[in-house]
Amino acid sequence: MSRKIDLAAAYSGRWATIACLLAALLLGSDARAQNDKPGVFEVRSAEAYLDGGQYTLDARVQFILSSQALAALDNGLPLNFVTEIEVIESRRFWVDDTIESHDVRFQLQYHALSQRYLIRNLGSGEQESFATLYSALNNLGRVVDVPIIEESRLRDNRRYRVRVRSAMNFQDFSGPLRVVFFWLDDWHLRSDWFTWTLDR
Amino acid sequence: MDSRSLKRFGISVLAGLGLALGIAALLLLTRSAQTPEDFDRLSNITLVLNVGGIALLLVLLFGNMIRLVRDLREKAPGARLKGRMVVMFIGLAILPLVLVYYFSVQFINRGIDSWFDVRIESGLAEALDLSKSVLDLQKRSNLDATETMALDLFGFPERSLQRELTSKRIELGASELTVFSSSRRIIATSTGGSFEAVPAPIENEVLLRTRHGDPYVYFDPLKFEVRTAARISSSQTGMPDRILRASFPVPAQVAQRAAAVGATYTNYQQLEYLREPLKRTLLLTLTVILLVSLLAAIYGAFFFSRRLVAPIQQLVAGTRAVAAGDFDTRLPMPSRDEIGFLVNSFNDMTRRLAIARETARHSQSLVESERRYLEIILARLSSGVISLEHDLEIRTTNQSASAILGVDLDASVGLRLPDVARGKNLLEQFVDVVQVHLATGEDEWREQIVLRAESGRRVLTCACSVLPSEGEHAGYVIVFDDITALLQAQRDAAWGEVARRLAHEIKNPLTPIQLSAERLRRKYLGNMRTAEAEVLDRATHTIVQQVESMKSMVNAFSEYARAPDLHLGRVDLNQIVHEVAELYRTREAELAIDVDTDPAMPEVSADVGRLRQILHNLLRNAVEAIDETPRGHIAVETRSRREGGAQIATVRVRDNGPGFRDGDTEQIFDPYVTSKPKGTGLGLAIVKKLVEEHAGAISARNHPDGGAEIELELPVDEASREQMLAKQPRSQSRSLVQRRVQA
Repeated sequence: MSRKIDLAAAYSGRWATIACLLAALLLGSDARAQNDKPGVFEVRSAEAYLDGGQYTLDARVQFILSSQALAALDNGLPLNFVTEIEVIESRRFWVDDTIESHDVRFQLQYHALSQRYLIRNLGSGEQESFATLYSALNNLGRVVDVPIIEESRLRDNRRYRVRVRSAMNFQDFSGPLRVVFFWLDDWHLRSDWFTWTLDR
Repeated sequence: MDSRSLKRFGISVLAGLGLALGIAALLLLTRSAQTPEDFDRLSNITLVLNVGGIALLLVLLFGNMIRLVRDLREKAPGARLKGRMVVMFIGLAILPLVLVYYFSVQFINRGIDSWFDVRIESGLAEALDLSKSVLDLQKRSNLDATETMALDLFGFPERSLQRELTSKRIELGASELTVFSSSRRIIATSTGGSFEAVPAPIENEVLLRTRHGDPYVYFDPLKFEVRTAARISSSQTGMPDRILRASFPVPAQVAQRAAAVGATYTNYQQLEYLREPLKRTLLLTLTVILLVSLLAAIYGAFFFSRRLVAPIQQLVAGTRAVAAGDFDTRLPMPSRDEIGFLVNSFNDMTRRLAIARETARHSQSLVESERRYLEIILARLSSGVISLEHDLEIRTTNQSASAILGVDLDASVGLRLPDVARGKNLLEQFVDVVQVHLATGEDEWREQIVLRAESGRRVLTCACSVLPSEGEHAGYVIVFDDITALLQAQRDAAWGEVARRLAHEIKNPLTPIQLSAERLRRKYLGNMRTAEAEVLDRATHTIVQQVESMKSMVNAFSEYARAPDLHLGRVDLNQIVHEVAELYRTREAELAIDVDTDPAMPEVSADVGRLRQILHNLLRNAVEAIDETPRGHIAVETRSRREGGAQIATVRVRDNGPGFRDGDTEQIFDPYVTSKPKGTGLGLAIVKKLVEEHAGAISARNHPDGGAEIELELPVDEASREQMLAKQPRSQSRSLVQRRVQA
């Protein structure tokens, strides 16, 4: 008699485990996100100036990493940063036209052996190392002398807007980790667009 | 294929497509993990496909579930079977899926955990520490060397600094030595590679650290160099310090291995860090696969149970239709399996049933036409036929039966014969005879029955036999013929023969008798004595008188027997009636004869002489009947009427004499039947004969107010004659009459 009860209990226990597992799977990420400190990306300032027939961008971006991202960085995961720049032609009776867009990509990674932070320009392949995360992020946030568009491409009597934003993602992973980040979409961080009219 | 099944087919295709897409998406998901390109796009596609597939399956399942529940509630045919099959299929699908899922979850958890061994982790950490300490040794010696050199360079003159740096660099084995001013200006530098190489500008960190006199050393992971920096204190107060920065190459073997250790450690740490998310992700993927499979399996359960149950449902519907009498139901052949065989058998059965029903219908109609045929024969039959149930309930009759018995028996089918007969004179007598026979258990009998009718006797020959029947109580069939006219005709023929014989045999000797008697008288009367002569005279007188009387009798007979041809012509019946009546009126002065003629009387096709003879005879008969009646009175009337297409002229002669003796009304037309003291008894017999020669009819009855009434009916024209002849099927004398008319 008691044996039967035990069996039943064991059964229900097992099912309960599976049920809990499913529930945790579905709710777990939300629960964790609530305890975390959120990250903040913000374009503080940006300006474009004409330099020898070429408009060039200077911008300052503030990167405050979420605790999740920090933990990932500490564990050797590379973080990808992208700064998107777009030049938009305003049209009066039509949808505005994006005539030029640039992506500036960087990768930030902690190097355990040297205990330094490495920044790699994914476009040019240049690398730099920093002793502190602060100096690394500071460096990352300083966007200097990025050519955005030639002056000759801009037409007279037209208004042009430039906008900038920065984002972080984990998309450049390979292997099974890709699948992981496929499901963890809340790790993506992104600033709002910083928009201004191009002075001519 | 009707629109409904087409729709179902479409839904099935959609479901299959959705399922295939879902599985393809999952495969894509796992495959794409290995290829970095387009992952973002692919992953989104796979996600959408999966979610879409699941949603599609859910919608389909929901619809199926609702339909099943509705069918169960409405107790639709096959619904319970379908429900049971669905449950069974789902059970079959779920158990292995859940088992596989459970064990997969276990394997994933244990498997992933087993990658992360504590020993490996600590080993890696120690290897890293070892690498670090190796590097640290070099860093410390390099820093020592740099600081020593910085002390040596204290107060070193700027112009010989370049040379000093180069010699020191070679001495220390450094790759670069550079002295910066506090304002970041390069004062002197020496590099090991190419002489033209410009050293990198001094980093902020270096400035910051050295400003406070802190040692500055780090391993540059990019160039595999140890970088150090030290402050060169100024010799003069107030003068800014200088900074010495040095780079020392790390031996390639050490650098590579340390880098390898570092990379491995980092990788391991990444994996360790991602262990839980990885597990969760794999579980999630697995769960999604499970869900898709489960939903697909459940949908499959519905789909296949529907496919399996559909022919059974059709069979049930078909059976109901057949039960309701619709044998034209044909079910579509679902497949060549056992159910197909069943459906085939069902179709075969319904086809056979339909054929059987058709055959039954055919034979029924055959029986029906046979029955109609028999009915027509029965109707045309001159014999009366009545079939009875065992309890004398009337089953069938024919027209002749009704006509002979004077009752409409067709209206009485289903009633008991004795009940129908109550109050009906002829039928009652008939039923009495029948019942007497049946009461004695006599089933098969034959008898001649004499029925007493108001207008004379009716003689029927009657035969009864038992109907063939399977049951215990068989019915009877009674066939009877009215042979009154036949008997009459036979009698007439006999009398005619007698009359001819009499005329022939008796008339011949009468003349010699008369002549002999007269010769006796002539020869001996004068010669005899008075007394004797008187005797002779009386005797011969009597002989002659009697012979005279016999002669007239024989003449009457021969008149009865003779059969001259009719000479038909158009006759005014009314006028003849008036003429004959006038004749009697003048002859018998005290006689009252009323003549009432129908002004609408048409001319009658008849033999004038015979018509006069008929009327003479009738009137003489009437006159003789009222001979002893005070205030004797005779009424003659003519009427014309139309009966069933035949124009009939009626002559009615009525007197107020003593009338006929009871039952004599039929026999008074026989020769030598007379109620009068005088007369040959041939008058009415001759009348009857003459009337029948005209295809007419004659009847006699006692009038309710007293006296006799004789009514004769004559056809007005040829067509009416035919009709009247046809109406007298029982009259055997008809053919005789007809022959004479034609002759």
